[in-house]
Amino acid sequence: MSELKDCPLQFHDFKSVDHLKVCPRYTAVLARSEDDGIGIEELDTLQLELETLLSSASRRLRVLEAETQILTDWQDKKGDRRFLKLGRDHELGAPPKHGKPKKQKLEGKAGHGPGPGPGRPKSKNLQPKIQEYEFTDDPIDVPRIPKNDAPNRFWASVEPYCADITSEEVRTLEELLKPPEDEAEHYKIPPLGKHYSQRWAQEDLLEEQKDGARAAAVADKKKGLMGPLTELDTKDVDALLKKSEAQHEQPEDGCPFGALTQRLLQALVEDSPIPDMSGKESGADGASTSPRNQNKPFSVPHTKSLESRIKEELIAQGLLESEDRPAEDSEDEVLAELRKRQAELKALSAHNRTKKHDLLRLAKEEVSRQELRQRVRMADNEVMDAFRKIMAARQKKRTPTKKEKDQAWKTLKERESILKLLDG
Amino acid sequence: MALVSADSRIAELLTELHQLIKQTQEERSRSEHNLVNIQKTHERMQTENKISPYYRTKLRGLYTTAKADAEAECNILRKALDKIAEIKSLLEERRIAAKIAGLYNDSEPPRKTMRRGVLMTLLQQSAMTLPLWIGKPGDKPPPLCGAIPASGDYVARPGDKVAARVKAVDGDEQWILAEVVSYSHATNKRHTLSRRRVIPLPQWKANPETDPEALFQKEQLVLALYPQTTCFYRALIHAPPQRPQDDYSVLFEDTSYADGYSPPLNVAQRYVVACKEPKKK
Repeated sequence: MSELKDCPLQFHDFKSVDHLKVCPRYTAVLARSEDDGIGIEELDTLQLELETLLSSASRRLRVLEAETQILTDWQDKKGDRRFLKLGRDHELGAPPKHGKPKKQKLEGKAGHGPGPGPGRPKSKNLQPKIQEYEFTDDPIDVPRIPKNDAPNRFWASVEPYCADITSEEVRTLEELLKPPEDEAEHYKIPPLGKHYSQRWAQEDLLEEQKDGARAAAVADKKKGLMGPLTELDTKDVDALLKKSEAQHEQPEDGCPFGALTQRLLQALVEDSPIPDMSGKESGADGASTSPRNQNKPFSVPHTKSLESRIKEELIAQGLLESEDRPAEDSEDEVLAELRKRQAELKALSAHNRTKKHDLLRLAKEEVSRQELRQRVRMADNEVMDAFRKIMAARQKKRTPTKKEKDQAWKTLKERESILKLLDG
Repeated sequence: MALVSADSRIAELLTELHQLIKQTQEERSRSEHNLVNIQKTHERMQTENKISPYYRTKLRGLYTTAKADAEAECNILRKALDKIAEIKSLLEERRIAAKIAGLYNDSEPPRKTMRRGVLMTLLQQSAMTLPLWIGKPGDKPPPLCGAIPASGDYVARPGDKVAARVKAVDGDEQWILAEVVSYSHATNKRHTLSRRRVIPLPQWKANPETDPEALFQKEQLVLALYPQTTCFYRALIHAPPQRPQDDYSVLFEDTSYADGYSPPLNVAQRYVVACKEPKKK
């Protein structure tokens, strides 16, 4: 229930024109019966009188429309507030016996027209944002000037940047810094796996064997001879593959031995090396080079280990300077790229870490300053209180008591000291 | 004869008008009741000094009913006024037809000149009965209502009153009250004028209560008909009319007075038009 002075309505005096006094001709015509009719000479005066009536009626109409509009908007505002409070159900806070007619009225209004329309979304819009101003808004809102929302939006958008730092945020920062436990994992360079050609060959062979096994299984279903055949595992496949590789490789290379081995032998043997002859004459370690083994395909790892042992021995003897390992790497482009990227990553993460440290430091400082500022604010309030007391005293035309003066001075000094801390 | 049929038509229209007027009164007495209710509610609200939702709803209902009533009343009144306008135009036609018929039938020449007094009364009446423009809410006053000028391509119809600038015998130009006979056709002894020299007079009066912007304001320069003459002279508006039936109060430019202007004289809305003329030489 609001007071009369809050009501935006103007209680107009709706009185219709008193036609008896103002429109005599009109009245006279009314009095006559149909037969008498209107004389032509009366037309002019009639016209004037009718015009008077019409103008007063249309004025009345305009005023009524304005008043209903005000009433509707006002009702709208109050109704919406109640909607908000009761969680948007249709029951208004009106006394129950008037609930129904009011509900019908509102629904009728909702179906109505443009009038309530703009009023309603605007009030709904205001509601969630400015809840604490609800009560003071009502009478002011009647002229319906669109409220300037921009400053509120601006401050809301700037809020995350200006807010106080909480301890939670400091903790998050510290956690971020903890870090790099799993870094070592990232930097590991995985060893060179099997070359893809080998792997694919291996897989293909496996496939074929599986197919074969399946075919055999279909054929020998009842005999149960499948067991051993189907259990060819990768080890056997590997062996098969290597054999086939060795068979293939030999004709290409001509010599399975590593470069160093060949050079050494070349140095030790005068004549042009014939693999079996040199094998015979060296007679040294790695006896698997004897001609009788010619026919058998050489196993590749063996020659490789021979090569590496010779290399090591030569280096130990000082005959061969230790080549830079990276020679091997330079041929491996992928490895080179990988190392480059790792270096970058290291640099970047170091940079990040320093920055995080700085941030943490600044945050801690800021937190302490915030506390100080809080204290300043409280000191401000105290000073204001003291001030008000003194003003009140002065208003009552008596000098402030010593107690009050002391208190005022004390609060002032406190505030100053805190400020000095803050600035210093 | 055309005259007889016109007569019977007029009689018909008069009867219809009578009916409309009776209807109007019924409507008005009905809405009277509602208005009284509103009045009572207002009083009660004011004495109780608070606005309960109950009152608000009730008031809204009453207002809506009153609005509907007022609209209905307006409609009937408008119809009645239209009917009157119709009758008047029929009468006008009849007058012209009679004049033409009279020209052929009568032996004696028709009086071309009227006595001054009669003419003045006629002018006065015409001014008074200029229809008042009462727009519905949201309507703007149309062109040729009060001070609102005619649209650029307005063509005056025969029978319209205009202010026309004519050259008298002695070479002097004057604005006179004239009636359009036909548009840019020459007839002997009538004036033939280009459109620039003709200003149509307003067809409606502007209602100061509803459309004050359609009236001339104070200190505006206008051409006004000098009372008891048929000539337009330059004048300054002294005061616009307060009520629909009132006249403008104007000051005519008159070198015979000390300050150059005559004392305020009353001129009807019909005979005041905007002045486009440059300063008189």
